[in-house]
Formats: sequence, structure tokens, C-alpha cells
Amino acid sequence: MNTQQNQQQQFIELSGALTDFNAFALHGTGQVEHYYKTLNDIVGYDTVEQLLCVFQTVYECACDEHMFLIGIRQQIMGDVKLGPVARNIIKLWYTGTWYQLPRTWQEAYGKSEQDKTFFVSSASYTEGLLWQAIDANPSGAKGPGYGSWSEPPRIHFDNSWQFVKQQSV
Amino acid sequence: MSESNSTIEQVTPEQAIQNSNDGKYDAVIVGSGISGAIAAKELTSRGYQVLVLEAAPAKSLSYDGFKEYVSNYYVNASKDNNAPYPDNPNAPMPRSTDVRKLCLGQMDTQGYMVQNGPLALDSTYTRVTGGTTMHWEAKILRMLPDDFKIKTHYGVGLDWPISYDDLMPYYRMAEREIGVSANVEEQGFYGIKYEPDYVYPMHGLPASYLDQVVGKGIDGAEFELAGEVHTVKVRPFPQGRNGIPNADYQNGAGFNPVGAVGAVQSEQGGRCQGNNNCVPICPVQAKYDARKTLYHAAQTGNLDFLPQAVASKVFVDGCTDQVSHIEFKHYTNTSSPEHTKGNITAKTFILATNAVENARLMLASDLPSSSGLMGKNLMDHTYLLAWGLLPEAAGTMRGTKCTSGIADFRYGQSRAKQAPFGVDIHNDGWGWATGSPFSDIEELVDTENKFGKALRQSTVERISNQLLFAYMVEQPADESNRITVDPEYTDALGNMRPIVNYNLSDYSKAGIAYARETSKVFFQRLGAQDFSSYSLLDYGSFNYQGESYYFRGGNHFSGTHVMGTSAKNSVVNEYQQSWDHSNLYLIGSGSMPSIGTSNTTLTLAALCFKTTEHILAHLSSYPVNVVADDAFKLAKGAHS
Repeated sequence: MNTQQNQQQQFIELSGALTDFNAFALHGTGQVEHYYKTLNDIVGYDTVEQLLCVFQTVYECACDEHMFLIGIRQQIMGDVKLGPVARNIIKLWYTGTWYQLPRTWQEAYGKSEQDKTFFVSSASYTEGLLWQAIDANPSGAKGPGYGSWSEPPRIHFDNSWQFVKQQSV
Repeated sequence: MSESNSTIEQVTPEQAIQNSNDGKYDAVIVGSGISGAIAAKELTSRGYQVLVLEAAPAKSLSYDGFKEYVSNYYVNASKDNNAPYPDNPNAPMPRSTDVRKLCLGQMDTQGYMVQNGPLALDSTYTRVTGGTTMHWEAKILRMLPDDFKIKTHYGVGLDWPISYDDLMPYYRMAEREIGVSANVEEQGFYGIKYEPDYVYPMHGLPASYLDQVVGKGIDGAEFELAGEVHTVKVRPFPQGRNGIPNADYQNGAGFNPVGAVGAVQSEQGGRCQGNNNCVPICPVQAKYDARKTLYHAAQTGNLDFLPQAVASKVFVDGCTDQVSHIEFKHYTNTSSPEHTKGNITAKTFILATNAVENARLMLASDLPSSSGLMGKNLMDHTYLLAWGLLPEAAGTMRGTKCTSGIADFRYGQSRAKQAPFGVDIHNDGWGWATGSPFSDIEELVDTENKFGKALRQSTVERISNQLLFAYMVEQPADESNRITVDPEYTDALGNMRPIVNYNLSDYSKAGIAYARETSKVFFQRLGAQDFSSYSLLDYGSFNYQGESYYFRGGNHFSGTHVMGTSAKNSVVNEYQQSWDHSNLYLIGSGSMPSIGTSNTTLTLAALCFKTTEHILAHLSSYPVNVVADDAFKLAKGAHS
């Protein structure tokens, strides 16, 4: 596996932990490469590498899921540089939208021309994970069929991301 | 024209002018929304020659053109009710995203519709082929018989010169043309009546699971108002979208739903699929829009359709007081104001733009009506939103936008003191109030700092449990609410823009305040957490008896060329014929003297059938080339 493929793999793992959708669900959106490229284009390769590296370290050092979550909270979500990027990755997966990074982040780490609030593509809107989470179709697409709305929603967590104890490499 | 791309054949400006000079046109219709399309279909199917001038381009008449709207919607960061429809400086339209809080005494000229206050009105309409039916929600209620006489019964607003009974046969025609899904036995309440044999063209749409949850909680709640007890019952709405055809329709003749306009007309749009996106666009075209009617008009071969032609002035012959011609400006490109001018004449002139644009065009033509009422009596439904979180996942964000609501505050003696209202249960949750579901994700991630499993669980609880009541409050006619024009404010083609002057009376505010109280009772009964909050900074903010509220416009502009019993008290007669110029008809909700608590489209469509009957009688005094029988049959649904 070359570095790029390896990193994309890590990106999927990170995305899974942040969104609680497993790799199968994430691949199913058809958006992995799109999102990974958008992320790199806007925050830069170095920042992405740093984020993935920290994620890998946290994962490898965690004895259990509780410790893992604390690590993510402290090393990524609570980090001045990586936190906003990680939150953007979550929102990207849930809504298909890249949200413009906070001004303070742009000033500290560089502003990309592309860093505006936008739908990455028309498909990214319809592939937002929030719709799957609530067992609804994206508003305006994938109509589930006449009368389907009279039944209770079938909300499930079958495609949740799972913490698996990693072996240090 | 081949059926396969179904684009309605268009004429060039030169052809239209030549035909006009040759005396071809029995009628020229300005606007291809529901009023213009019905008028066009009714006249052309009887052999009359009609020219329709449409301000916007007509790409959406092909299937691919329509799909562009859907793609626009997906990628547009704003999901407002005009999001799918491209900006067009040559025929601009209001957008809710342009509206800001007004500063006292200052006009806001940012949007197309200039806001002169004192309150900012965020209502919109859509200037595209097919008009506002492209973005409408297609809840399609009849007015209550009582709504036609509110001045007489309650001393507020204006009476109609006609009654529910007069309109009843035309309601039936409108329900056929639109293709309404509803069950008669669920709709005959508070005076609404039907012919004994009547059934709707299609069966009613099933209630959403959310409706069922709400119904269980609030059915039977009692409210005493002006000495009368109002008992709440969640009821389904009639819908202007395709459901399951009712085999009993028209004495067993049944009904064929009209699907998508374009290449795969027979394969798509035959039945609602629950895309939860009726506003701003039904992606499968199961929702009625006026292109369907226009398409049938074109099939007669008697329709000339000229898009990208903005009617700019109505000219009146000083001797006869008849309209002599209409001037239009034709552009070739929406990105350039370059245009050519032309004049069109016909036996009959029909303005079918909408309540704001009809008045705007007449005022810009210096034709304020001898009554002085042109543009005045502007009405809209005033919406109060109340939103909460249910204790269980109710499957919000599924189904059509709105399947059920509450009609039990639409009637009664309290109408003398406070505005009545209908209530919608929104299947799209808090969307209208907060920008849900996207705003929920932003809040959960950025403010509540959730990620992973906690985020996914919270997403369910925050969105699938949502409940939003939209209270649609009647606004009676008031001359100070009005559309005006000023040469200082023009669009790219130099046409004057509408200026809206808008306020809410204490009568409206009392209705809104009472609506809010009922929402508190509903939330209590449902065990729902009330999240409603009305910021003073909101552009619709107002204060009433010490409480803050904000309102939203209902996109139901009406009253601006009001109908009445004489040239003194109104602009048009019961046939929507101008009192001042007998060959001019101003059609649409602008003619309505009151709007009750019903979305306006069904009533304005019914009025349109009544009007065209009158026009047909008038035109029949001229010699006419009767249409060939097969062309007549093609114009499906023509009413003999």
C-alpha cells in the first residue's frame, strides 16, 4: 500500500470514529475520495498528515474505548489547530457541506481560496449521513415511495463504527 | 414538435408582433403561472387564438431543463424557497434571503421587492415558466363559506360579491385541473360542502407517522373562545399532488394523473414518492405545476408562447377606455439587459402575473384604477411558528412537507375580535424556523461538542423528534398595506420594481398571540419540550401586549386588484374584469377580497375557471374558427 492509499485508509478510519459510521457505510456514499481531496485542497497536505498521525497515535495508545475517546477529545477535538478541521470533517460527512473554517484558524494556519461554505458536489448533498442516521431520505432525492411516511422510522445502528484494539506497528 | 422532448413550441417576438398586426389573437395572456395557464388552456381548447407572454426563459419545459432546477437545488448552499431558480436580473423575483430587519423610516432596497415597512415581509413568488406553482407546497384547501362574508358577519375586512355556492362548481373544475388527492368524508367541516356525488380525483394521501403521534396527544383538546368550545382534531389536508386515482371519480370514469412534463411523462411523477421537498421543487413532478396545464394548451395548436418577454406597459385608448395594446421587452440573454420592444394587441387582455406583479404593471402604466384601489388591500397569510421536541422519534423529515393539520380555529364568533387560523404540522420539522436539519448538525458539532456515537445518537433525538406547528393566520384587507411603484427603483430592463408597504393590525396580532397559547397546550399534552423563541433581532419581530413574537410571510399575496360590487369599491367585478377597461381582466389572488384560512391557489384557480367562462361568452360574439375535434380532445380535461 503506498503512502497515499495508506493515508486515505487512515482518513476513513478517522472519519468512522468521528461520525460513528463504519467504513462500509462511508464507502457507500461514493464520496471518500471527493472529501479527502477537498480536505487536502483546503487545509493542506501537512495538516492532514498531522491530523492522521495524531489519530493513529491516539488509537494505538488507547487500551480501551474510553481511553480512546478521551484521547480524541484532548488531542484532536480540543486542539486549536486540529479541532476545527476535525469538526469540519464531521459536518462534511453529515451534510455534504464544507463549512468555511473560523477566521482565527485561517489567520493562524493559512487561508485557502477554496475555503468557503459550499456543497462539495450535488451528490454530496444527497449522500449526507444525517439522513441515514434518522432513516429519512435527503430532502429532494431518493424518495422512499408512496405512503412510506406513515410507518415509524426504522432507526438502527447496525453500521456503527467499532473500536478495535490496535496493535502497535 | 415531438412528444419526446415536449418543449412547447415558441414564437419569436417578430412572429408574435406580425400575428398581432394581422389580428390573429383573441386573447393575450401575461404570465404562464396557474392563472395564465388555465386561461390559455380553456380558451385554446375552444378554438381561440392565444398568445402567452412569459417574462422568464422556458428551458424547464424540457425534461432536462427541469432537472437543472433540481441540480441547482442540491448544490445551492441556501435552501430557501427560490433556491432552484436562477437569478434573472431581467425578470427578478423576491427571495426571503434578501430580507433584513428594517430600520424605522428607512426603505430597504436590497431585494427585488423594495421594503417600505414598517414590517419587513419575506414572502416570495417565482418568476419562471409555470410561476409560483413551481415552488408551492400544494396544500389545496377550499375556503369556508363563512370566509366570503367576514365584513357582514364579523365587521372586519371585505365581503366577496359572490358566495361559496357560486364558486362551488368552479372549485370542482380547479380540483380536476390540479389533480387533487383527498377524501371528501374527511374534508366536509365548518360549512364546507360538496355536490352529493362528489369525490376528489385521487384518494387522500396517508397521514405521516408524525401526524399520528401528534393526533394521539392532542385530539380532543378543548378551547373556549367567545363562548364556543373548539375541540381539536388532527385532519389530513387535500393535496395538489398525485396519489392513488379514485375509480369513482366522475361517476366511475376515474382519473388519469398527469406526471412529469417532458421526455418520460408517462413514467415519472404519476404518484408522490415522499421526497419531502414539495417546496421548493418536487424532483419527480408528482406535484402539480402550471407547466402541465400550459403543455395541454399548447397541444391544441392554438397557443403562441413567447418567453423572455416582460410586459412593460399597458396602453389604454383615451376615447374608448379600452386597452389598445401591451408593450413588452424581449431579451435574449438573462445576463444582459439588452432588449427589443414590441407591442401586442388582441380582443382581450388578461394579466395573470400575480397579485404583486399585476398591480405593479398597472401602476407602472399609470393606471391606478378609478377606485384608487390598485395595489391596495395587500393581504398575505401571517405565519407564527412554534417548535418543540417530542419525547420519541416521530420520523420527522419524511413524507410530503405537510400531510395534516388542525382546522378547529378557522371558524367561530371569535373572528369578530381576533384573526382565525389554521395549523400545519410540518413533516420537515424545524426547517422553517431554524434551518433544520443542517443547523442541528452545526449545533451538535460546534456548540454541544459531540462526535462519534454520542453525535449519532443525538442526531436522532434532535431531528427525528422534531415537531413544528405553523399557524397560518388570516389577514383581512387593509388599504394601508399596499404595493406601490417609484421610478427611482427599477430592474435591469428599466421596469419599476414593486414597493411593499406592510404592517400587522392588532386583530392579526391577537390571533397570533392566541395561536401561541394553543401551542403551549399542545406541547404540554405531548410531553414535548418547547424550543420556540422569538428574537427581537429577527426581521419579523413585533411586540404584542408585552410579549415578543416574530412572523413569517405566507407567500399568499392577494387583494391588490380587489373584486367588488361597483367601480367605486373595487378594481374588478366578479368576473375579474376591470371596471374601467372592459377588455381587460386582472386574474389571480389579487382579486380576492378576503383569504380566510385557506392557501389561496385553489380559490384563485376556481375564479379563473369562472372568469374564462365569462370571457368565452364574450368572445363568442366574434366570428371564430372552431378547433378541429381531435385537437380538442388533445386538450385533456377541457370542461364542456
